[in-house]
Amino acid sequence: MRDLVRVAWAIAAKDVLLEFRSRTAFASALVFTALVLAILNFARDPTAVSAHSLAPGALWITFTFAGMLGLNRAFGLERENRALDGLLLSPASRTAVYVGKVAANLVFVGAVEAVALPLFALFFNVPVVPVLGPLVLVIALATLGFVAVGTLMSSMAVNTRLAELMLPVLLLPFLVPPVTAAVQLTAHLFAGRPFSAAFGWLRLLLGYDVIFVAACILLFESTIEE
Amino acid sequence: MPENGGFMVAAYVVAAVIYLSYSLVLLRKGRAAR
Amino acid sequence: MTPAERAQRTLRRTAPWIAVSLLLMAAVYVRALAFTPPEAAQGLAQKIFYVHVPSAWVAFLAFGIVGSVSLAYLVRKDPRLDLLAAAAAEVGMVFTTVVLVTGPIWGKPVWGTWWTWDARLTLTLFLWFVVLAYLVLRGAVQEPERRARYAAVLGILGSLLVPFIYVSVYLFRTVHPMPVVLRAGGPTLPGSMRVTLFFSLAVFTLFFAVLLRYRFALARLAEARARAAAERADA
Repeated sequence: MRDLVRVAWAIAAKDVLLEFRSRTAFASALVFTALVLAILNFARDPTAVSAHSLAPGALWITFTFAGMLGLNRAFGLERENRALDGLLLSPASRTAVYVGKVAANLVFVGAVEAVALPLFALFFNVPVVPVLGPLVLVIALATLGFVAVGTLMSSMAVNTRLAELMLPVLLLPFLVPPVTAAVQLTAHLFAGRPFSAAFGWLRLLLGYDVIFVAACILLFESTIEE
Repeated sequence: MPENGGFMVAAYVVAAVIYLSYSLVLLRKGRAAR
Repeated sequence: MTPAERAQRTLRRTAPWIAVSLLLMAAVYVRALAFTPPEAAQGLAQKIFYVHVPSAWVAFLAFGIVGSVSLAYLVRKDPRLDLLAAAAAEVGMVFTTVVLVTGPIWGKPVWGTWWTWDARLTLTLFLWFVVLAYLVLRGAVQEPERRARYAAVLGILGSLLVPFIYVSVYLFRTVHPMPVVLRAGGPTLPGSMRVTLFFSLAVFTLFFAVLLRYRFALARLAEARARAAAERADA
């Protein structure tokens, strides 16, 4: 178990360091985020659609798209340098590789979300600070589910023709439960309603994370050549 | 009773077309392969 | 008998059954259209029920087969299991498409809208997307062993997704009530309608089984031929 953590940490650290050095993917994700937020804001008729009703959906569309950029980057990097082969030749367990990759992606996507959230609060004028605690929890849970499944899907997509196109095709149906739950919970929080009223959604999100993280850990092995 | 027989016909026809077409495609592939 | 010959024999034997199933389907049509009373509130459009519901039943059956056979493949690594899953996905896709087309055609006159995000239709829509992803993934991977592995992973994950989509829709609807999906005649179907429904269910299931058998045999034949060609090339 300790070996797994150690290896996963090493892999995650390497990925994060690589990304931090180049920062291109991070920068593009941020620009993209700002763009999506601005467009969504301008796309509505302010007299008909309040920023408040649009806000939760806008936030999660932004997070989802930025997250996809991050996921693509992750394995794309490996493919370019055939670094994955090197990783797999090593005695590192497959699970460690997967956990490490998920961790690195979480850091990346989390960093984008951390910058996007204040931007969002600014553009949409929603009261984020009073509900920051529960909001961060919701974001963390949804992002975990999204990244766990996304990392697995991108490990397959990267080996197909049209890899960049393949990832959304594979991933998007799987995003429906966590993102729907996240949007509903976010809407609840912004409306100042008690968390307990949306408990069903929270349970859905938790259940999704538990089942799919476990499933992806078990199935990752099968996406790697012997 | 509402007058919506047209929808009924449309649905039945479309379904039949889809099922029939697929069956014929399969049968043609089967014949070509043999 | 070589695998190729066995597959060819299955094709020969199953083809007439496809014809039989189509004839039985025609019988269902006649029964539903001419010999089943229409439902008073919905009118004639309600009869779409006899095509829509059995198709949905088969679609989910097919998907269940894809999921369980995919799991079996990862455990047993038998390539025929992979071919069976692929056949089930393709045939299932056809039935799923019919559900998605007949659903809105039924919905428009009865609920006034082409689409509602009700449980069955939404679930079927995402089923359709997952099966599409499955078939696209298969098309995008050249190497057979990797293709089988990837497809199996997606098949299993897809099956796990189904209950979550269902719960999502259920939760959504309790918060945002939508037009209730009108059943054919309330909670219990009157006798004649019930007979028609069961008749249709039986015929559609037979039709699916026959198509699946045929499609599976086609896949086995293609694979046997490809293998033979590869061996000849090596020699």
